[in-house]
Amino acid sequence: MKTLSFIEDIGRRSPRFDAPDKARGKEKFASDLYPENLLWAGALRAGIPHGEIRSIIVDRALSMAGVHAVLTRKDVPGPNRQGFVYWDMPVLCGKKVRHAGDAVALVIAETREILAKALESIQVDISPLPVVDSIDAALSDQAPKVHDLTTGNLLKAATITKGDPAVLATCDILLEEYFSTPVQEHAYLETENGVARLDKEGILHLIVSTQAPFRDRLEIARALGLDPGKIHITAPYLGGGFGGKDGATVQCLLALAALHAKGRPVKMWWDREESMVAGYKRHAARMHYCLGAKKDGELVALKCEIDYDTGAYAHLGVEIMALGLEHAAGPYRIPNMEAKGRCIYTNNPIAGAFRGFGVAQVSFAFEGMMDRLALKLNMDPLALRRKNALIRGDKNCADITMTHSTGMAECLLRLADHYLWTDRGKWVAAAPRFKRRGVGISAVFNGMGYGHGLPDYAVAKVRLTQSGTIRVYNGVSDMGQGNASTFVQMAVEILCQDRENMELVQPDTDRTHPSGSSSAGRTTYTYGNALIKACTALRDKLCNRAALMLLMDDARGFAMVPGAVRHLATGKEISLAALAAIMHPEDRLCVADHLMVTTPEMPQGGEAFSLGFPHLIYPFAAHLARVEVDELTGGVCVKDYLAFTDGGRVLNPQTFEQQVQGAVAQGIGYALCEAVQTTQSLISTRDLSTYILPTSLDLPDIQSHCVETIEHSGPFGMKGIGEVGLNGPLPAIGSALIHAGLPMNRAPFTPERILAALQGQADKKKEPPCR
Amino acid sequence: MKVHLPESLDALWDLLDQHPQAGIMAGGTDLLVSLRAGKQHLPTVICLERLAPLQTIEPLDQTLRIGAGVTLTRILENSLVHTHLPLLHKSVASLGSPLVRNMATLGGNICTASPAGDTLPALYVLGAKLSLASAKGRRILPLESFIQGPGKTALAKGEILDSVIIPFPAGFGVQHFEKLGQRNALAISVVSFAALIRTQDNLVQRARFAWGSVGPTIVRSPQAEKALEGNPLSLEALLRVADLARAAVEPITDVRASADYRRRVAGNMVLRLAAL
Repeated sequence: MKTLSFIEDIGRRSPRFDAPDKARGKEKFASDLYPENLLWAGALRAGIPHGEIRSIIVDRALSMAGVHAVLTRKDVPGPNRQGFVYWDMPVLCGKKVRHAGDAVALVIAETREILAKALESIQVDISPLPVVDSIDAALSDQAPKVHDLTTGNLLKAATITKGDPAVLATCDILLEEYFSTPVQEHAYLETENGVARLDKEGILHLIVSTQAPFRDRLEIARALGLDPGKIHITAPYLGGGFGGKDGATVQCLLALAALHAKGRPVKMWWDREESMVAGYKRHAARMHYCLGAKKDGELVALKCEIDYDTGAYAHLGVEIMALGLEHAAGPYRIPNMEAKGRCIYTNNPIAGAFRGFGVAQVSFAFEGMMDRLALKLNMDPLALRRKNALIRGDKNCADITMTHSTGMAECLLRLADHYLWTDRGKWVAAAPRFKRRGVGISAVFNGMGYGHGLPDYAVAKVRLTQSGTIRVYNGVSDMGQGNASTFVQMAVEILCQDRENMELVQPDTDRTHPSGSSSAGRTTYTYGNALIKACTALRDKLCNRAALMLLMDDARGFAMVPGAVRHLATGKEISLAALAAIMHPEDRLCVADHLMVTTPEMPQGGEAFSLGFPHLIYPFAAHLARVEVDELTGGVCVKDYLAFTDGGRVLNPQTFEQQVQGAVAQGIGYALCEAVQTTQSLISTRDLSTYILPTSLDLPDIQSHCVETIEHSGPFGMKGIGEVGLNGPLPAIGSALIHAGLPMNRAPFTPERILAALQGQADKKKEPPCR
Repeated sequence: MKVHLPESLDALWDLLDQHPQAGIMAGGTDLLVSLRAGKQHLPTVICLERLAPLQTIEPLDQTLRIGAGVTLTRILENSLVHTHLPLLHKSVASLGSPLVRNMATLGGNICTASPAGDTLPALYVLGAKLSLASAKGRRILPLESFIQGPGKTALAKGEILDSVIIPFPAGFGVQHFEKLGQRNALAISVVSFAALIRTQDNLVQRARFAWGSVGPTIVRSPQAEKALEGNPLSLEALLRVADLARAAVEPITDVRASADYRRRVAGNMVLRLAAL
């Protein structure tokens, strides 16, 4: 008998299932893999943001000892197109390059050193085209087209309308502002990589750092004209993803390389500089907001225009813009709204999915408007937010009825009672010489799941193994958020087993079932719901089989206990190993699926988005930042940080807290220092010495508290909080600054911009008034 | 690339003679980054880490002699530095991260001769002298004459920096260092400022200032120092000094900040002295 063991069930603050193996270095990430006899593959990047390819001369590279192949567009079988929806991105460019990170040639070599030399020796002649380096440049009449669209560089425009936005003109208070947010880099520890091998049967095996192994299979097959059934993908734990590994990175290049490697394994691993130039980023956005309210602070109408720079390729740009419009007026009750969005091609680095998916941008704008309104009305900014906060039964700004868990008001209520808020006056007054202090808050939300039009489903599988252990087949990548560990916890809860009796398989297109991508705050929610069904079915089945063995009429009165099934009345037990021995292998398996519920409501204009719009379930959060500004340098220091998060019921407080802490840290970076800078579409922040991530010395202690509503549709009442935490810091810090007399309309809040604001040099551009 | 690890100065002189094009490596925190980025290609690298004479810290008559190969972590841990050279201590603590400081050396920070070198403003105001050694013997040079431009030093062929001699700043009651980087660790300075001030009867008797990252080398301003002498450490007096500082610096615009911002902050940092 084990005396110290306990069941690490739901609600317990238990360490991650994968923690011991990761701490010991036993768990292998894709980048840890160096199969025997491997070759290295690498792409030559265009280096020019816009141009026509005249020639690519590869002779010198080909003649080098140790170079196995040099591939260009003509070597790509199939249509050579990748991309989620728009299929606008070549695997290898043949005629045209659209950003500096475009791949124009692929080299396979014996070592990394030979690979580097071979790539250097390729001569590419690109005749430059005028560079479309900004939204304005893209929309001008003379703009060269990045793609051959009849709409010029406008990938998509849409307008969402609720009520009668024209009432804006008649509001007691009318405020107008412009905001802009920067390009943000995912900057995961583990850069994009994988290994691939073509076996003798013609099956292509890939082990990739990816958020979407099942979609990758289709993407590779389509781009290279292959049979998806002959592609096998495994997704080990990721060293970070944040959305940047949702979509093809190395996949198609690596598959192409494997086709030319004569059965040898091929490894591709972007270094940090390549990840910077070729990897996906967060969309830069510019936003024009006009907000109308009554004298008592009740919100009446919002009109806004939001432009997203999607860079050279669409990726999920249109869907990201859709979420921006859906969240444009914040988590508030507002009867009238018109939100216009445009998603625009430029020659800038490719923007794509990133935690906070289009919402991180608008959160800065709608919360910025709330603070300006509070100042205008001389009203407490928290009271103003509480007055307008969404509650159950309200319709949100995208005209969706809040029928599910809605903890916004409760998050604000709890924040209002916290000493960091109630003591703020004293703290601000105690600012030392040459320092100025401010305390700010933000209220944010983030639609969860894929949304209407893109079925959000998962298929869970769980098995009693031959040896009597329980094995969970996770179908959704764990990029560090801890979903895989939570799946074990769910199975432990239902099957009443010790962790020692559990096994876990990571996503593998052969062994696990298609369950969608690790994204959209849906990972634990959707797969978890399926897993509960699979585990419940397995439990019932095991009780039933135990009844047969123990010669009982039926399974009533049986329960699972650690390592066994027990008949409670008699105390008779049969061990799981004994049960496994008599069960057919196919009988020891349960598979169940789950399809996430969607809303039947659609706002006017929403039909423009066929995929993932609108959402039904939203996590909410209220954040607070205590900020100290140095009046001599403009430096901003976040001294304290507080987050109240409504994620429904919390399954593991530790994992919950880690998600909040990580999101807040990434959000503080977004607010203070992170910005991919470009000159004529060429990145000038090429590595982590110039692209500035916050260090532990730049981050305050972050207090995280949960506001436990119950999300009835979620597994054990939970909903996903992976993204919402990122949306809070930028507006909370912006709020602290405006209440310290420093209204900022442009992020990040660098010392240089703050010093300019301190000297009264507003960073606002004058633009035409509200239409 | 061939790497040599001489264990005596005699062996080092031979190697320097045989490989005049060799790169010299102390901690490698600058050199290895530059090699990886392909900014230079070296057929041979000679490492100084096994040379015992470069590894000592010894007090000598109101000065401290720090071997050029002493790591920054060892400097931070040294009680003499802590007690007698708090300004140096502060500037060393602002450099890189614990990992970088475990490798990086004081000699390396000087020989890299970056205008953003974190220890340099402090060493300038402290009046550090350098001992340069070669097969022919030794010579002593003030730090200010040694550094000639960004990445340029007075080091002759076959010569190395073997130690740094730092006088204790007797009677200087104010020892101030401030570094502004883009973040609080692992940051290249955007502007830095070191000051030593001796006061008597609340009036400044002697002031020494140095600014980093606002010119091709560390910037001094005798005018600014003179302007403060005879005055109290008041905001009014410092505002005049700040203007002179802004006139003295010659900053550039780069990916970290604009020249205009750097100029403004170089002056503003002086005002901090009023808050001490």
